[in-house]
Amino acid sequence: MSMYQVKPVCGSHITTDLPTCMYNLPNVHAQQRNSSTSEHALQNGEVDPAVKALEARQDEIMRKLYELKAAVEGLAKTVSTPDADLDLTVSSSLSSQSPASITFKGVTDLDTLLGKDLGALRDIVINVNPAQPPLTLLVLHSVLCQRYRVLSTVHVHSSAASVPPQLLSCLGPRHADSYARQMFQLGFTLIWKDVPKLQMKFSVQNMCPVEGEANVARFLFKLLSPYPSDPAVATLVDSWVDTAFFQLAEGSAKERAAVLRALNSALGRGPWLAGPEFSLADIACYCCVLQSGSASSSPANVQRWIKSCENLGHFSPAKLFLK
Amino acid sequence: MTKEEAQGAAEEEQQAQSKKGLKKQQKEAEKAAKKAEKQAKLADEQQSTEEDDFAKDRYGVSAMIQSQQKLDRVLVRIQDLSPEKADQLIWLRARVHTSRAKGKQCFLVLRQQQFNVQALVAVGDRASKQMVKFAANITKESIIDVEAFVRKVEQKIESCSQQDVELHIERIFVISQAEPRLPLQLEDAVRPDGEGEEEGRATVNQDTKLDNRVIDLRTTTSQAIFRLQSGVCLLFRDTLTKKGFVEIQTPKIISAASEGGANVFTVSYFKTSAYLAQSPQLYKQMCICADFDKVFCVGPVFRAEDSNTHRHLTEFVGLDIEMAFSYHYHEVIDSITDTMVQIFKGLRDNFQTEIQMVNKQFPSEPFKFLEPTLRLEYTEGLAMLHEAGVEMGDEEDLSTPNEKLLGRLVKEKYDTDFYVLDKYPLAVRPFYTMPDPNNPKYSNSYDMFMRGEEILSGAQRVHDAQLLTDRAVHHQIDLEKIKAYIDSFRYGAPPHGGGGIGLERVCMLYLGLHNIRQTSMFPRDPKRLTP
Repeated sequence: MSMYQVKPVCGSHITTDLPTCMYNLPNVHAQQRNSSTSEHALQNGEVDPAVKALEARQDEIMRKLYELKAAVEGLAKTVSTPDADLDLTVSSSLSSQSPASITFKGVTDLDTLLGKDLGALRDIVINVNPAQPPLTLLVLHSVLCQRYRVLSTVHVHSSAASVPPQLLSCLGPRHADSYARQMFQLGFTLIWKDVPKLQMKFSVQNMCPVEGEANVARFLFKLLSPYPSDPAVATLVDSWVDTAFFQLAEGSAKERAAVLRALNSALGRGPWLAGPEFSLADIACYCCVLQSGSASSSPANVQRWIKSCENLGHFSPAKLFLK
Repeated sequence: MTKEEAQGAAEEEQQAQSKKGLKKQQKEAEKAAKKAEKQAKLADEQQSTEEDDFAKDRYGVSAMIQSQQKLDRVLVRIQDLSPEKADQLIWLRARVHTSRAKGKQCFLVLRQQQFNVQALVAVGDRASKQMVKFAANITKESIIDVEAFVRKVEQKIESCSQQDVELHIERIFVISQAEPRLPLQLEDAVRPDGEGEEEGRATVNQDTKLDNRVIDLRTTTSQAIFRLQSGVCLLFRDTLTKKGFVEIQTPKIISAASEGGANVFTVSYFKTSAYLAQSPQLYKQMCICADFDKVFCVGPVFRAEDSNTHRHLTEFVGLDIEMAFSYHYHEVIDSITDTMVQIFKGLRDNFQTEIQMVNKQFPSEPFKFLEPTLRLEYTEGLAMLHEAGVEMGDEEDLSTPNEKLLGRLVKEKYDTDFYVLDKYPLAVRPFYTMPDPNNPKYSNSYDMFMRGEEILSGAQRVHDAQLLTDRAVHHQIDLEKIKAYIDSFRYGAPPHGGGGIGLERVCMLYLGLHNIRQTSMFPRDPKRLTP
């Protein structure tokens, strides 16, 4: 401490005769050196075990309250903003599980993700402008179809002027059982419509529409596997998804080149973009690289990664649109 | 005159029960008489000044046309008046929509259906003062012949449909005079709701409009509505004919009530009584059994329901479809919904001016639909309602408010005004409805909705005589009464299904109107049998 040291004015060993009719207080100056700040001292300088126990109990209660608060906040987030991360209790309970594998074997339960089944088809409605076919969503759709029994339907809204026939068959041939909607776990309804921004509606009562292809992709991906429990990895995935849609798909040539360089260096560190597992980041970036037409001119690591993506076989629906 | 009035009053007192209408008529007659007198006076005056009227053979009331002569005169349509016709001398027949005299000139707005144009008579070397006066005195809604020069105008005429030209009248003749006092003013009848109240202007109520339907039908709104309705019929016929359907005619006087027994009109039929057909259902089905494969019919349908709502009529036009299918009744749904979508598309593409015209008076959102049409199942609909907080049983029918709510929910999620609700509970459908093969609680039946209101109700029909008998017994229907119906399925019947649409409802809901009487030319309801 850069302060002047002053010598004590009087000696510290002065003994005073104190009357016995008063309480004895310990020396304040002497105590500063002896006891730790967090522990309350008794008159004789010792800590009462009862107070200690009480303090421990209070700490425990506070901790529990904070936990509860976090859990409630997490829940509120999932209710009000459907694309928010899973609530804390869920993510902490999932933390012991291994993240999703390439085949998306991660534990997901439609009931917990989409709300309780009321005995009717859970139908995800996606409004898309025919000028911008959502490649990522088509890929995710085909993966969803492998995982669940999905009823896929394509409609044209009266506001869309003309829709090319390939867009009408973008979800593949009609399911043989499509006459019985009850037999499906999930509905995937794609409506070609004159909308400025891609839009997803699920439960009109409890949820506002989700806008933007990236956000809808996050929602759909969560039906396949939970987000990585490690917040750092989850953020990395999110940031790659945003990079893909904002800079690869919509960005200028300069931005695209920069992203490709970034992809190249990220892929130099590992086989996939975010961590050791194939994730939404790979799907989004792959589709956007393909869409921007820069697949052939990309650097070596990216080329290798594109090959590995293609080997997974999820991307045939997207490739249909690029021919 | 005063004596006459006194007499009139005395008469009225005598007929204590005479209605307002009578009084009105009498007053009108008196007014007309007054006017006639006035006109006679005017004529006298005119005669006195006849000598200096140089234009007297350029105007007048022409003799009643009894086809005395066949003129080769070409009459131009108002809608064809465009700047290209500028400075041509043309003949035209139209109604006087409004007239406004201003010193030495008189402005007329001439109307043909929804089109109108401004015309002008001004004192000059071709028209005399008397001619202008004559033009100004022509009553509204009279039919006139005019010869006029088409002239371009500098400033657009905002109030007319032909905004770039006006007519400078050379000759003007009255062909048919309207009574000076109209029971309702056309401008009042097309004024949007609410606007009149603010500005203190009159609006015409529904009953007055319907009582004077001939005049009400002349309004741009009514013209547009019924032109659109004709379009619906045309598109319906065209689409189905293209799909290989055959149009059939079915009898409207029948011996037994077709659907249940209630709600039928009984008519006397020589020594016995007969019923008016509630739907062509049985006859459509018989045609299917007679190998017509796919049939439709357009014709009146009668319902003796004493319900005075915005969407019930006792007589309306039914557009009915019935078809044999191969394996699944969804083939029928697909056919019907595709027909509806073609109609909606045709209306959207070819009737935009009519739709705009109606929207001016009755604003509504444009009709939205999906192609192919959205099909939801009844249980899904119930789940959506449950989610919205509606409590109702699984096998209960949808009430009208729930129907509307469901319509709103579906619109919110799918943004469509037209959808199909499939798989209704068997308990709420008629006995001839085919039960669901997997769940006896449900049936192969469907309703179609426009803007949350039901427009079509249909089903796969039971085509097996034995099952039909069982179902009828289950519904406690007297087998004797429906013997002919059941018998028609005894000699081999293809699986079939169909449904019936109400033309008036389709028009009303497509345009977003709020009363079915607006889309029925001469509506029949429990309280109205005239005109």
